[in-house]
Amino acid sequence: MKNKKTKAILTSNQMIIVYIMIVLSVLIGTKNSAFFDFSTVITLCRVALVTLIFALAEMLVIVSGGIDVSFPAIACLTLYLPVFLETKIWKIDNVVLIFVLAVVFGLAIGAFNAWMISIMGIPPLIATLGTSSIINGALMATTSGKEISNLPASMDALYSSYFFTYTAPSGMTYSLSVLFIVPVIFIILTALLLRKTMLGRGIFAIGGDRNAAKVAGFNVRKIQFFVYMAVGAMTGIAGVCSCILARTAHPTNLMGSEMMVIAAVVVGGTRITGGHGTVIGTVLGVFLIALIENNLIMMGVPTYWQSFVVGLVIVLGTSITSLRAKKIAQSAKV
Amino acid sequence: MEKIKNSIKNMDNSIKTLWLMVIIVLVIMLILDAANFFTFQNLRSMVFQFPEFGIMAFGMMICMISGGIDLSLVGIANLSGIICVEIVLNLNGSIGFVPSAVLGYAAALAVGALCGLFNGFMIGYLKIPAMLVTLCGLELFKGLGEAITTGPALTGLPDAYKLLGNGDFFSIPFVIIPFLIVVIAVSFIMRSTVYGQQVYFMGTNNEAARYSGINCFKTTELTYMISGILGGVCGIIITSHFNSAKSDYGTSYTLLTLLIVVLGGLNPDGGKGKVSGVLLAIILLQLISNAFSILQLDSSLKQLVYGALLIGSLLVNIMRERVALKRETRLAAAKE
Amino acid sequence: MEGIKKSFGGVHALRGVNLEVKKGEIHCLAGENGCGKSTLIKVISGAHDADEGKMWIDGKEVSKLKPIDAIHMGIQVIYQDFAVFPNMTVAENIAMNHELMTGAKIMDWKQAHALAKEAMDEVGADIDPDILLERLSIANKQLVAICRAIINDAKLLILDEPTTALTSKEVDKLWEILQNLKKKGIAIMIVNHKLDEIYQIADTLTIMRNGKYISHGAIGEYDRARFIHDMTGRDFVETKYSPAPSDEVIFEVEHLSRKHAFHDVSFQMKKGDVLGITGLLGSGRGEIGDALFGIAPAEEGTIKLNGKEIQIRSIDDAMKNGIAYVPEDRLTQGLFLERSILDNTMAASIKKYFMKGKLNYGKMEEATDAWIQKIGVVTPSSKPPIKTLSGGNQQKVVIAKWLNTDPRLLILNGPTVGVDIGAKYDIHAMLHELAEKGVGIIIISDDLSELVQNCNQMIVMQHGIVKGHLSNSVSEDELSSALSASGVPAKEAAAQ
Repeated sequence: MKNKKTKAILTSNQMIIVYIMIVLSVLIGTKNSAFFDFSTVITLCRVALVTLIFALAEMLVIVSGGIDVSFPAIACLTLYLPVFLETKIWKIDNVVLIFVLAVVFGLAIGAFNAWMISIMGIPPLIATLGTSSIINGALMATTSGKEISNLPASMDALYSSYFFTYTAPSGMTYSLSVLFIVPVIFIILTALLLRKTMLGRGIFAIGGDRNAAKVAGFNVRKIQFFVYMAVGAMTGIAGVCSCILARTAHPTNLMGSEMMVIAAVVVGGTRITGGHGTVIGTVLGVFLIALIENNLIMMGVPTYWQSFVVGLVIVLGTSITSLRAKKIAQSAKV
Repeated sequence: MEKIKNSIKNMDNSIKTLWLMVIIVLVIMLILDAANFFTFQNLRSMVFQFPEFGIMAFGMMICMISGGIDLSLVGIANLSGIICVEIVLNLNGSIGFVPSAVLGYAAALAVGALCGLFNGFMIGYLKIPAMLVTLCGLELFKGLGEAITTGPALTGLPDAYKLLGNGDFFSIPFVIIPFLIVVIAVSFIMRSTVYGQQVYFMGTNNEAARYSGINCFKTTELTYMISGILGGVCGIIITSHFNSAKSDYGTSYTLLTLLIVVLGGLNPDGGKGKVSGVLLAIILLQLISNAFSILQLDSSLKQLVYGALLIGSLLVNIMRERVALKRETRLAAAKE
Repeated sequence: MEGIKKSFGGVHALRGVNLEVKKGEIHCLAGENGCGKSTLIKVISGAHDADEGKMWIDGKEVSKLKPIDAIHMGIQVIYQDFAVFPNMTVAENIAMNHELMTGAKIMDWKQAHALAKEAMDEVGADIDPDILLERLSIANKQLVAICRAIINDAKLLILDEPTTALTSKEVDKLWEILQNLKKKGIAIMIVNHKLDEIYQIADTLTIMRNGKYISHGAIGEYDRARFIHDMTGRDFVETKYSPAPSDEVIFEVEHLSRKHAFHDVSFQMKKGDVLGITGLLGSGRGEIGDALFGIAPAEEGTIKLNGKEIQIRSIDDAMKNGIAYVPEDRLTQGLFLERSILDNTMAASIKKYFMKGKLNYGKMEEATDAWIQKIGVVTPSSKPPIKTLSGGNQQKVVIAKWLNTDPRLLILNGPTVGVDIGAKYDIHAMLHELAEKGVGIIIISDDLSELVQNCNQMIVMQHGIVKGHLSNSVSEDELSSALSASGVPAKEAAAQ
């Protein structure tokens, strides 16, 4: 029994990602020895910070059997609007308020999504695509793509706050922003939610078999509202973090990142059909994609091949996850 | 008069809504800017614009009827366009424009078919959900296009290349020809071929279709291949229109084609849909798009309107169904 | 419950049902498929609200019940599809209801394990509690569902057709468990339509037909005749099908085998024969049909149609050789509910109507109208969607769909399940007519009276091998006993 379990863990989706990451790291390292340095870890963390939050949120939705492609748009709105209000209208400087506003806007849009999907029965892909277009169109029309580069001082203060600074042998310094605590907190919260609370188990339940969940006594509507609103709130926070790190509030920069995030989630072992997914897998998926994206140049891949390579990784990752699911469905039953 | 009244009653609900919306847009434009909108010049400019997304919408339509979806069409179009332009650019000097264009066009269609084959394999054989496959496909094809062009647009095409997308024959734009061919072809295929009927059956109930002797894998492959070829046709038209090729032209068309098929009466779950509905929806969206430019409204407002229309039309459909169900239940209970 | 009425958008599912179940009693709700049993259960469990009528639980009147309320009041339902979560472990599935019932916000994994072990001990199951449910066999999934139900101090336990997927040994085990629960004072309601099983286990019963309440009483008040009369609305008429004898062998199968399904199956059909294949689920009866139609082809053996040996490796092969198959699950495998009667009738033979470069709708309409006439479907035209037809008429159209392909061999799996008595009669008459014309007819069924009255030859399958060839000179009781004798477990037999 013990051997079977160890074998299962060693061949699990998560471990495969780890193997790939090790192989890739070796490949990159042999071309560029500067890679094997603690600075790489810091860079990866910085690059993956916002994506981690997005991916955790998206994982919740996909596990529940739905999908949400409106999150980049929500993030754009929640990073731009509060900054706009504070700098242009109210003329105040309060970073806490920015976060609060972001969460409120995120929750509101999430509730709208949930209403369309859970109560009106519109397919999640189409509903969230609609929301995304409405928000994006509104933002573009009102801002014409102009960013606000003078952020409130309190936001900049967060930008300049670090956990620690590390000096590499090359002399360059790398710092890990305090904002990294945000995805870490979300990782812990999400893991606890999914594993330890009935609400979390409910998310798995409706993803596994919505009807069974209903007759078992789960409040399907409540769970769906929670999931989409959680996505709203989390992406709200992610948007503000991204704005702080970029030192500018750009109304449309984050658009187009849906694919990357969904890819990270699916590569991490979450099934697109719902009911299966782990926090560890998602985190690994994010780091794998970040590793690849960030180091393609070091691996000798010219910039214009990058989209294709990442696309290929997504296709491979999703194929493997789907094939595994298919194999299980067709295997002999106990 | 009776005949007209009857035919209105018998019309599909979604077609009725479409006609209503067309009339509303026309009336609004009549009030706001009749002078610029209702001109032959304007009509002509509209006809130049809708074929490229209209043909794509038909690709989306077939995939949706089969129970799937094709979100990768923009990627396929751009990739095919890029390959076509590469061929013309490289061979124009040696073998002349017409042969190189013919080769280029053929290659574009072949690329479209291959992309479709890839999609169809993942969906039909590996049984990965169509939404995920085609979203991934979009990235993949776009990425391939980017890799070939190394980023910037491919330019330097001979002037003759522009003709298809921008030229006309006695004031009738050339592009209307491929569009009409596609409309007639798709119409015929869906209504009068064995394959067409099998697509409807497969989209209605995949398992029952299999049990009725329909080869679902072959049907799926054919469906996405046709969609891919239509994407290739769009690629040819788009590159001719812009007289250049790039990996990210027409990214707004993904949302637009989805909106068109939904407005056109297609059920996202599959099994339903007619060419007439999609055709009317294409015309409607072109009218709206054109109204935006005539009224000089911000084009990003278009995106907002499209998103709102997408959600709005589905809400209307769902409410209508609920009311109908309630009415039927009440009637049945009263009968007891 | 009294006077319960429930309608769905024009389809009357329940028209005035009365029901009463007492503590410590096993009550059987009997009725043919489609009589409204499932809808009634959904009303009891709170998944649906009744349009009219009253319901009392423990003497208290209830209305607008939500599933969680019903569970709190002690009502536990085990559905036909078990309503279990394939993506969760056995332990979690078993503990699920308990967690929900106690309104817990936190998931206690240790307690889940303990509860699971407790339930499995009581039920006598031995399944790894950490295994995901999607990996379990159907019988084990059902055991998990039962464990889940008894964990919660159920007052009323409802089982919806619990024996469909069980072997006879497992059925006996189930009865044992239920008797134990009954002694503890739990009220048990079993939905079933199999006469023999009802006699084995029920104390009292209620019979429903076409959504209406027909009768109820203690099991002793029902003899076979009354039972069948109440269930079907007709008196039991013993007829048997006896074709003119013939020497022409139209279909032959020799040493047909497929691993884990069936082994060394051989039989011969002569002109006029209607062959019945029966056996408990898992005996290989359905699997032979799947093999002959190419859904899950055989690995060994020969198939000869009209004297010529043929290979069947796919559905396409089967259809090319003129083999047709009416599947078991009409709703998911046989019908395109939203499409018209015309479409459904033509679905398997569209190729025939491709003439002069396009589909000939005129001829399709003609053919469909002809079939509608011939098989006696009640409908004003072929245009309405097929979902507007009754179960019996729908099944007739499915059969017509296959008859339109001019088959030489027609296999039907459960042809009259959920079909009203009139349509049943019509369908059987049609099949006799076809058989006499020389079309081979194979009926796979577990409906003993259907088999005895309509098949002149029968094969009884057990654990993958042919246990006996019978002719229709046997009676239903004899057939029943031939079915239920126990034997060697399926895997061992098929692997030999």
